[in-house]
Amino acid sequence: MKHLNWFDLPPSAQQVRRRFLKASGAAAVTGAAAPLAFNLATMGSVAAQTADDNYKALVCIFLFGGMDCNNTVIPTDPTAHAKYLAARPSLGFALNTLTPLTDRVAGRQPIGLPASLAGLAPLYEAGRLGVVANVGPLVMPTTAAQYRARTATLPAKLYSHNDQQSNWQSFAPEGAPYGWAGRMLDRLATLNGDQVFSAVSLGGNTVLLNGEIVEGYRMTTSGPVAVGGLTGSIFGTTRAGTALRSLMTESADGNLLAAEHAAMAKRSINAAETATSALNVTTTFAAALPANNGLANQLRMVARMIAGRSIVNQKRQVFFVSLGGFDTHSNQNTSLNGLHGQIAAAMAWFDAALTEMGMANKVTTFTASDFGRTLATNGDGSDHGWGAHHFVMGGAVQGRTTFGTFPDVGLSTTTDAGSGRLIPTTSVDQFAATLGKWFGLTDSQLLDILPNLRNFTQRDIGIFA
Amino acid sequence: MPQHHPFGRLRAGWQTAMTQPSLLPQGVDPRAACATSTTHPVTRTRPLLTLSIAATLLAGCGQGQDETNVSELTADLSSAYANSGVSTKTLTRPTDAEAIRLLNQASFGASDAAIAQVRSMGIPNWIQYQFTLPQYSYQTRFEAVRPPTASEGSYAYVPWETFWARALAGEDQLRARTVWALSQIFVISQVDTNLSGRPRGVSSYVDVLGRGAFGNFRTLLEEVSLHPMMGLYLTHLANRKEDAATGRTPDENYAREVMQLFTIGLYELNLDGTLKKGSNGQPISTYTNDDVMGLAKVFTGWSWAGADTSDSRFGGGNADPNRDVTPMQPYASWHSSSAKTFLGTTIPAGTNARDSLRIALDRLFWHDNTAPFISKLLIQRMVTSNPSPAYVRRVAQKFINNGKGVRGDMKAVLQAILLDPEARDVTRVTDPSWGKLREPVLRLAALSRAYDAYSKSGTYPLRNLNDPASQLGQQFMLSPSVFNFYRPGYVPPGSQLSKINKVAPEMQIVTETSAAGYANFIRTVINSQGLGSATGVTGSDTVLDFRDEVALAHDPVKLVDRVALIITGDTMSQRNRALIRDAVSTITMSTSNPGGSRLQRAQLAIFLATVSPEFLVQK
Repeated sequence: MKHLNWFDLPPSAQQVRRRFLKASGAAAVTGAAAPLAFNLATMGSVAAQTADDNYKALVCIFLFGGMDCNNTVIPTDPTAHAKYLAARPSLGFALNTLTPLTDRVAGRQPIGLPASLAGLAPLYEAGRLGVVANVGPLVMPTTAAQYRARTATLPAKLYSHNDQQSNWQSFAPEGAPYGWAGRMLDRLATLNGDQVFSAVSLGGNTVLLNGEIVEGYRMTTSGPVAVGGLTGSIFGTTRAGTALRSLMTESADGNLLAAEHAAMAKRSINAAETATSALNVTTTFAAALPANNGLANQLRMVARMIAGRSIVNQKRQVFFVSLGGFDTHSNQNTSLNGLHGQIAAAMAWFDAALTEMGMANKVTTFTASDFGRTLATNGDGSDHGWGAHHFVMGGAVQGRTTFGTFPDVGLSTTTDAGSGRLIPTTSVDQFAATLGKWFGLTDSQLLDILPNLRNFTQRDIGIFA
Repeated sequence: MPQHHPFGRLRAGWQTAMTQPSLLPQGVDPRAACATSTTHPVTRTRPLLTLSIAATLLAGCGQGQDETNVSELTADLSSAYANSGVSTKTLTRPTDAEAIRLLNQASFGASDAAIAQVRSMGIPNWIQYQFTLPQYSYQTRFEAVRPPTASEGSYAYVPWETFWARALAGEDQLRARTVWALSQIFVISQVDTNLSGRPRGVSSYVDVLGRGAFGNFRTLLEEVSLHPMMGLYLTHLANRKEDAATGRTPDENYAREVMQLFTIGLYELNLDGTLKKGSNGQPISTYTNDDVMGLAKVFTGWSWAGADTSDSRFGGGNADPNRDVTPMQPYASWHSSSAKTFLGTTIPAGTNARDSLRIALDRLFWHDNTAPFISKLLIQRMVTSNPSPAYVRRVAQKFINNGKGVRGDMKAVLQAILLDPEARDVTRVTDPSWGKLREPVLRLAALSRAYDAYSKSGTYPLRNLNDPASQLGQQFMLSPSVFNFYRPGYVPPGSQLSKINKVAPEMQIVTETSAAGYANFIRTVINSQGLGSATGVTGSDTVLDFRDEVALAHDPVKLVDRVALIITGDTMSQRNRALIRDAVSTITMSTSNPGGSRLQRAQLAIFLATVSPEFLVQK
């Protein structure tokens, strides 16, 4: 049997290995080697002193299933609203149920929020929330005429859930190895003490966070999970920990599937103690956490990790949280109402918590989803679309306005790919470039990370000052 | 101390039986003593057939057009075996390790009794024997368990219990394992709130998969498409035809997913499952959104079964008490009467719902992609994540023609998957990308079967398994979406596998959280010698029996070798055996409580084996 050692592997795999060594090094400094009480005392004060440090975080709220943008942000001038209502008679909301938003820029399409999202209106009016209109994957600027004539290069596998989730995050369909946030963090790696906690997901496995160096670290809403038995007694012995660690983290028989599992177990074991130390910095918030809100629970853990940023030596972090259930082919108004309510309450709580921590200006939060949905309905639901409206929130956001172009909401418009599927007028590349510039990436780095950016002349959609 | 089964076992003689199968009293099921018990209706399967009875049954096989008998199959495979250099002896006279490999692929894991059974029958006959076993009905069990007046939603766990009862104690292992595979292709999920209150309907859906496991793919596809639980899950139940006046269009959900996930996939495939490339070197899409919209019209006008086709019933009113377990029926007034164009086929305007469905499903069934697409998915679920193109082609050819001119014969497909030299070649275990990561459900099942898991209540109440942080992170019928727990093409980022274009689907649910959560969960199970709880049962309901390991506890070498055989099919490296031996030896044999320390040694050895790479990867 051929035994594969790690140094037999090509450099790329060695790099993965080095990541683990680095992670275990970090654990040795702040974790196992030092008494926990010492950690907390020291690190807590470090965290307090560096509240105005050069820190920035991006938080992606991914809405799995494809959120119906047409009932998320709605035109409120009577003519446009009547056109909207005519296109979706069974799903549309009456004008008098909407919460109008007052755009700080004159001449923009007047818009409002459905009652389920009214909780976001105060953030908007305070200038900490903006709407990103009709954003989605594009290879190049694309008109309805070009779409119909098939003269534009289109993103692969439009309208397919898994592929458009991947497109939003990586500009390629399912199976893509790297996402744009991970690749941004790769290039900012020198700002961070190590790469284990640069990208943290509370929302499961996601390509967005994976770079060539950085890999998303997954944790739960109650923190990391430690492996029992590495220390202490199991089955009547205190001396099984070495064997347990070795069996879990080393795969000597050369099988690559086993090696991959062992690598993950190693990551898990090495990072758990460090993450726990970071989380001990802030455990409570004055803002009341919304009840029965899974998204809020995830954002609470993000807030705690941000509070512990110095302990894990991070100056740039990307967090991924998620909410599912948006594939509203049927029973849409009931389902979406509940989901919207969770989003609004969770985002408002997160804004309050960040403000409480003095970090509101340093954290930018945005929503994303598989795709928007058809404006036409199938009766009580809508089908897979393309472009969608999203929210961007944070103290650095020059909010109370719409970024990009709000579409003419109707069927057979200049942005209609059929049945009211919006052809995006702002590409994910442009949106990500704007976020990335704020995050500290150079124009050339952004062109390198975002494959279609060169096809768009406007590379900053003006979210930040 | 371990709970002893209320019936005898042949555990003490296992080694003799392993090396000299003829010494095993053939056909004597160690559990036969309970075969007539009425206390445990779920788990008490019929006694193991004697070989003569099995042979009689086998003689009855091969009569129907869908059947393929063993001798022909062997002849058919002979060239593949000759080319591969694999001896057909592995089929007819498997070793312990070879029998365990088969059981890992075709069942929920090896037990001493199952190893002996496979060794004595030989692999082709074991598969044939499995084909003869009657289907166990999830729906019947559901109806027996739930009092007629009780709220159905309170019994959501019953399909899970039935699954575990079949997995751990059912004789019909091949069908049960195939149902597990099919449930990960034709996904519905009780996570969906429309289904969470309908466990009877879900049970009925599982019965569709159970029929399909040994039936014909075309029938399976139709039964899946018309099952009201699928109709609810992918929302084609009560899907209305287009209406130009209001701009309403048909729901496209099922039309899209039946193509993407259940039949043809996204890209055109060669017969061997590799991608066809266009003149530009790029993969070729199998369908466009226009095809989805055309096919969506086919899936209009289907809704709840019942005595009439009133609008009220279509919309959910006037509920028939059996509508959750009865195929959807057509409602002519809601079925699109326009022409339906998709995949190069046009169903003429005015075609009714049943005829439209037949034409559409035939189109998908006969599509060139379906054979390699489904064949590869099943291979991945049962045998290996990265089958060779030649292996996929051999199986796909059996999907296309079972040798009797029948397409879609699932028995022929299963035989082709399990008897293929690539599946049987034991030297494959040294191939760096061979095998599949065992998904969490299969890990718990394999551990449980290795230790003769037995439910004191007879219900196998393995309910709470779905939390990755503290449990398995996986449960039957609880996929997070129609895209299953993991995707068949998942590639771990930055991995060595990714550099050589190999996939590891099950790695998609292995995270920092679940890797630790699994180790902690399995340690708890082993520490408790079981899991689950049931009314009136003290301690764990479903108990594991470590008595053979306890008997070897004084001798760490023998103890670890025994565990390495039953848990890893004897594939554990000498290095890892030594690690476990050394750890076990640190437990002092107590003079005051010798039984306690013997048990601890056994438990530690088993625990360490279940986190070892040789167990985690099914090779």
